[in-house]
Amino acid sequence: MSRLRRDPRAEREAMRIAGGARPRFSREASLPVSARPRRDPRAEIEALLVPGGTRPRLDRLSRGGVRPVRDEATSPSESTVQTRIVTEPAFLVAVVPDAPGGRLTPLDRQLFGAAHLLAAGGGAVLALAEPGHDDLAGVGADRVGPLAAVADYDPEARAAAVAQALESLNIRHALFAETAEGGDLARRVAARLGEPLFAGAESLTPKLVTRPARGRRVEQRRAPPRLVSLVADSVAPYGGASCEARAVELPAPVPTTGAILSAEIILADPATVPLGEAEFVVSAGNGVSDIPSFLDLARALRATPGASRMLCDAGLMPRAAQVGASGTVLGATCYLALGIAGAPQHLQGITGCEHVVAVNTDLHAAMVERAGLAIIADAHAVMPALIAALEDEP
Amino acid sequence: MKIVVLFSAGRHPASGAPCPVPVELQALRLARDLAGADEVIGLHAGPVDGAPLDALGHGLGRLIHLRMAQGDDPLPALAQVLEELAPDLILAGRIGQGGEDGGLLPYALARRLGRPILADAASLGAGDDGTLTVEQALPRGARRRVVLRLPALLTVHPAAAPALPFTFAAARRGTVERRDIAPAPAAASEMEERAYRPRPKLIARAAPGASAAERLKAATQAASSGGRLLVDPAPEEAAREILAHLRGIGVLRRRG
Ligand SMILES: Cc1cc2nc3c(=O)[nH]c(=O)nc-3n(C[C@H](O)[C@H](O)[C@H](O)COP(=O)(O)OP(=O)(O)OC[C@H]3O[C@@H](n4cnc5c(N)ncnc54)[C@H](O)[C@@H]3O)c2cc1C
Repeated sequence: MSRLRRDPRAEREAMRIAGGARPRFSREASLPVSARPRRDPRAEIEALLVPGGTRPRLDRLSRGGVRPVRDEATSPSESTVQTRIVTEPAFLVAVVPDAPGGRLTPLDRQLFGAAHLLAAGGGAVLALAEPGHDDLAGVGADRVGPLAAVADYDPEARAAAVAQALESLNIRHALFAETAEGGDLARRVAARLGEPLFAGAESLTPKLVTRPARGRRVEQRRAPPRLVSLVADSVAPYGGASCEARAVELPAPVPTTGAILSAEIILADPATVPLGEAEFVVSAGNGVSDIPSFLDLARALRATPGASRMLCDAGLMPRAAQVGASGTVLGATCYLALGIAGAPQHLQGITGCEHVVAVNTDLHAAMVERAGLAIIADAHAVMPALIAALEDEP
Repeated sequence: MKIVVLFSAGRHPASGAPCPVPVELQALRLARDLAGADEVIGLHAGPVDGAPLDALGHGLGRLIHLRMAQGDDPLPALAQVLEELAPDLILAGRIGQGGEDGGLLPYALARRLGRPILADAASLGAGDDGTLTVEQALPRGARRRVVLRLPALLTVHPAAAPALPFTFAAARRGTVERRDIAPAPAAASEMEERAYRPRPKLIARAAPGASAAERLKAATQAASSGGRLLVDPAPEEAAREILAHLRGIGVLRRRG
């Protein structure tokens, strides 16, 4: 197909502005209108530039999504623009995070992701949480309703406060975590409000929630009701712009008289708790030969001891302590790896661990790459130093 | 002490055949250990009494079966009978298996009866003057010891002591009392049911446009939290850094 031949005289005529003695032309009306946006090759190259380094490097794998911030000076003004602000929400979607000790769990973050799904179309996400939480704005709370802190263990008082908040504010959906603590709270709230609870939802969209029933033989589905509790790893956490986390007023709680006279927590004995359930695991690999010192360290840290397959094969640690694909898959919050290279079979066992600390002599070990804090040092020097430091403190 | 254990119409998760829910049998054992065999009554509301009958063999002496039609709401009947029996303690399973499986009934019942409810009991001990010491199972093997004023309702956690073994003689000896109750049709729900289909679990968050290699990496390695690297520090400094980091995460417990 050949290109259309241009007719400059006709184009000029089309640009002429009528009237006036002198001929006048306007280019505005005649600019070619095309549906395709015009490419800007310079800006595209700019977006592919990898920050740092003296030589320009282009990263052609990133497909436009996230633009690396190159200029430090411009980034603050950009980030202030990127706050999500909902001034007049049409409705509210409440999230009641578990947040043991003020720290949001991965499931809590997923709850915020689910809430943003439900809040699409003019809604705002309200976090109902005790004050003193880390970064509620970052995980996606448009509003924060500060619940009165319950000093001792009194689930009924907390349920009463949540139920009251749900009644008094215009809340369309409330999301709970289907965990021991959150599931208990959700059911108490449901019983208080006399409403059904969609317990243990496994998938969630604005139109449909599903849950297993009858011993996981059937799937129940319906439009999301007001109270929903969500199981872990079913919805992605919120990944959008930071929210404003504006505080809202909640009604003062009504004092309740509980039947609970006293409550005390008995911590699990780290030496006997099963490895898969342990909260904090200290693990030794082939780089550790001083096993008694390692076990002392585990005791001093009050952590559960684990090991890589090399140590278990060598008979230095019991097989029950093996971490990894053919050992135990951990559910721990924190993993301290001493002298472990980080073979894929080993890393599979710690995919669920949020925090990893590695001590290794090899800077290029895979475990060092995986770790949040990596120490390149001899484990045999660090272990006694750790024990000494733990003994020194009050 | 009079204890009522609630039994649901359990079904085996694999075969679908009627069978008692394991955690309810554990509740029965807790009740027997606390109050003796004669003080424990089983209560079941449902159309047929297949599964709860097995509980007789696991050490239940007396079962009250409230007969109702399929799909009726068991809550009013249970509440009425429990008000009549007025037990000091009511035990229930944590979550049923074979029905709605929502675990809401004990809470609704407690609300209706005006009793406090405590979830996830793992062991029970009698306290003095009308109190009960409950060890509550928490995640990660921890326990919470709660002292509770009776009467109360408890749900039992699978971490409780295992159920008593089934004996045929006990199953023969146990008595069942059947009562007919006024029908209470359940409120219509807009729930739709289908065959269960396992949903893919979210494994890791790779960026939406990421390449296959990146997605594999995200799935197998999880996110590293923007690691800090210390090369060849003095052992004391390394120890200090590690402890500070652990304390920041909040896994390090104070001793004592
Ligand atoms: C089918 C299959 C299944 C497997 N399943 C598992 C499994 O479940 N779990 C498992 O762990 N493995 C498993 N493996 C084995 C796995 O592939 C690795 O061989 C193993 O994890 C390596 O253990 P390591 O890191 O302790 O030892 P190495 O690979 O020998 O690494 C030792 C590390 O310690 C460092 N080091 C040495 N000296 C010191 C020192 N003084 N101070 C500090 N650091 C030091 C070294 O730099 C090195 O990084 C499996 C393998 C196969 C084939």
